[in-house]
Amino acid sequence: MKKKKNAFARRRDLIGWVLNAPYLLYSLVFFLIPLIWAFWLSMMDWNLMSDDRIFVGLRNFTDLFTDNKVQAAFVNSYRYLVPIVLLCFLFGLIIALLVSKLPDKIKGFVAVLFFIPYLTSGVATSVVVKYFFNYNSIFNEFLREHFGLNINWLTDERYAFGIMVGIVVWKMAGYYALFILSGIEGIGTDVNEAAALDGSTGFHKLIHVTLPMILPTLTTVLVLATGLAFGIFTEPYLLTGGGPNLSTTSWQLEIYNTSFTRFQSGYGAAMAIVSAVQIFITLRIVNFVADKLNERFGF
Amino acid sequence: MKKKTRAFNIFVIAVTLVLLVISLFPFYYMVVQSFTAWDTVDKTLVPTNLTLRSYEYLIGRGGATNSMMWVRALLNSLLVAFPTAVISVAIGLAIGYSLSKLGFSGEKLIMNSLLFQMFFPTIILLVPRYMIAKGMANTYPGMILPLCISIWAIFMYINYFKTIPNEVFEAARIDGASDLTILWKIAFPVTKSVTTIVFLSIFMQRWSELMWDMLIAPDINMQTLNVLISTQFKPMGAFPGPMYAASVILTMPIILLFLRFSKYFKEGISFMLK
Repeated sequence: MKKKKNAFARRRDLIGWVLNAPYLLYSLVFFLIPLIWAFWLSMMDWNLMSDDRIFVGLRNFTDLFTDNKVQAAFVNSYRYLVPIVLLCFLFGLIIALLVSKLPDKIKGFVAVLFFIPYLTSGVATSVVVKYFFNYNSIFNEFLREHFGLNINWLTDERYAFGIMVGIVVWKMAGYYALFILSGIEGIGTDVNEAAALDGSTGFHKLIHVTLPMILPTLTTVLVLATGLAFGIFTEPYLLTGGGPNLSTTSWQLEIYNTSFTRFQSGYGAAMAIVSAVQIFITLRIVNFVADKLNERFGF
Repeated sequence: MKKKTRAFNIFVIAVTLVLLVISLFPFYYMVVQSFTAWDTVDKTLVPTNLTLRSYEYLIGRGGATNSMMWVRALLNSLLVAFPTAVISVAIGLAIGYSLSKLGFSGEKLIMNSLLFQMFFPTIILLVPRYMIAKGMANTYPGMILPLCISIWAIFMYINYFKTIPNEVFEAARIDGASDLTILWKIAFPVTKSVTTIVFLSIFMQRWSELMWDMLIAPDINMQTLNVLISTQFKPMGAFPGPMYAASVILTMPIILLFLRFSKYFKEGISFMLK
């Protein structure tokens, strides 16, 4: 009997390893080796093509501190993060609250409509935005004719950054709204009845009942949006090239340009590592704050 | 009281409509510009004379010099996104099942490996991955393989299998079904909603990928639609009409796919929150 069980266990082991083999192979080739390689590269002066690789130790990292592109990417991460997280959150919440108040028949359909921008490739969005804000577009003609406004949307620092943030919020708010909506609908009828008995309605109910009840959901949204803000690439790459004056640049864009258009690949690898450290620390802080908040409300 | 609720309902519907118009306006604009005559592109919000010229341009009847490239690009996008989604689902299913229902000796190793990988943003791996995949530049494997595994997808499956009682699988084992049969005949069908969501999400992500495809497949015959639009519309002087038309073609398949399967999403989102 024991022998038979062993045979079973061995067979299961075999099947387990077979099922996981593709993943393990992938992880070795496209994760572990590149990871080690990345750290090694970050200490090299190398132009991606040539056989000359000069070991420079930590010089790439010390050079980062005085590089204005790196400083811009570092600061912009937070300049993106704050408005994107706040606005995604705000609009996500507004959309979710509105949809939750709609008749059941159209609720699902409307939620899906709000979700559509999330599905759009950044390239398609960029095409529309670039032409829509072009000098000769109907929109700018209208502004010139009726308001005498002549705005260079994508080459004026004040507006270019706002447009980037606007694109991301437009794209993501409806997606996050689905999460928040799901949280709102998960609130039990007993809670809603108790709130009604206590005479808690409207804004009071939102602040004192609904929001605290969906706090775990809001935490998820917060963490997702934070990760998102660090991954911006397509829109500045296609619309502004990171300018004007590096005001819309991002880590991904600078790493891409450094590694593949300026061919400073070792330096690019060092940038990527520093960006990862920043993301890691920021996510830790966000998680910590969220945990404290959750604790306060008993989750 | 009743009057108050009625006013409130009207308010809710009005604000919802305003937000919906903002959300969907770019799509409306994109579609209108793709169908309008070329001299009125970006000059009109309500097209008066519709034309297919922008779309004809893309398939080569409207004067494009290398017309097949747009058709090829669409095909390339499909040939990259579809296999990627299939592989992600297969791997997710295999790992999810083996980690939560099989009880094999590598469980811990795999779990730790997944958690370790989650920790590193993929941007770190960009240059070395490019070096490793460079030999496969301008080929489908070069585009598919390095991005074919999604840790998110794997965790979706692991968590989903945890919610399914073991008895379902034990019963089949007692009946003498092999593990691979169980995986294919029982595990795969019960994950229908997760599989739908994972498949569509990975398909969409891969379809919209720009950076990797620009690097690994710069050859004009291998560019995805996403890459081709971004290379064609960057230089000044491109015709806007065909760019809008290409964007419509880039966007619509994904939207239609998601709308077709939207009923699974409610379940999926509430599951993602657990």
